[in-house]
Amino acid sequence: MRESIGVPSMVLAAGYLGFGALANGSQFPLWAALLSTVTIFALPGQLAMLEMSIAGAVPVVIVITVSLTAARFLPMTVALLPMLRVPGRASWRLYVAVHLLAMTGWAASMRRFPELPLEQRLPWFVGFALTNWVACLVFTAVGYALAESLPALVRQGLVFIGPLYFVLILTGETRTRYGVMALACGAVAGPLIHLATPQWSVLLGGLIGGTLAWGLVRRRQRA
Amino acid sequence: MLELALLVVACGLATYLWRGLGMLLSGRVNIESEFFVWAGCVAYALIAGLTVRILLLPTGTLAATPLPERLLACAIALVVYFVFRRNLFVGIAAGFVALVTLLAIRSGV
Repeated sequence: MRESIGVPSMVLAAGYLGFGALANGSQFPLWAALLSTVTIFALPGQLAMLEMSIAGAVPVVIVITVSLTAARFLPMTVALLPMLRVPGRASWRLYVAVHLLAMTGWAASMRRFPELPLEQRLPWFVGFALTNWVACLVFTAVGYALAESLPALVRQGLVFIGPLYFVLILTGETRTRYGVMALACGAVAGPLIHLATPQWSVLLGGLIGGTLAWGLVRRRQRA
Repeated sequence: MLELALLVVACGLATYLWRGLGMLLSGRVNIESEFFVWAGCVAYALIAGLTVRILLLPTGTLAATPLPERLLACAIALVVYFVFRRNLFVGIAAGFVALVTLLAIRSGV
């Protein structure tokens, strides 16, 4: 648990602070923002849900879009599981535990698991992820409350942290060729499609921008 | 209210779906396959498009701030972030201070 109060969690806290402030700035109710941290617990999906429901998108489209932002969890879980499963032990605990799987906890586990005995890994993971989960809930509320009580000028600055967090983390932490190309294509496609159809822009921007980037990189690698 | 609650929970389930599927399929899928490369591209493009859209065409509180101020504050945050070796806190703090300062200057405070 002590390890979870490190730099990665502070980064997560900043993200959730921004999300809380953004939710307040969009008149999204606090309880729904908190519920999304409990049930989704993945910032990109929560941001997509927030913005799309404000834009009045069809619920089914929102759910599909959020799901697409979360597809990364499948390969992450697949990679983590062989290090976590104790032979002969019931697996329902694991099904509960993976709900708490997010980028921060995953990266820390991949680093830490090889040093830990097999039986200690699940408790370690749950302790780490649970601490993060609770901290994210607290910071969602703190961001929301701060944005509500402060003067307009400071409030605008706080809400600005929401998008800024992603600008910095995406430009700074994306290393692969596919990732960089996808960022570029998405950054152009998203706003352009928004001008034509605000309710569909998040989903279409991702599908079109992402597929374009994937095709471009693939073609260049083959050439 | 109930509708919103259902929507949030449905989004949660749609997210859990991938975590749960990962459990089920562990050891049976090749995570380096082309499908996951593509899905990764879509996720990156989606969140990048959404972020840039919020910066350029915001709704809610940010809609009251002028575009040049937002872009300048974002640029300052990026520069500071990279100068401080990708320190996210310093970058975010710089962007926050920059936007508040620029807005204060414009409104003549």
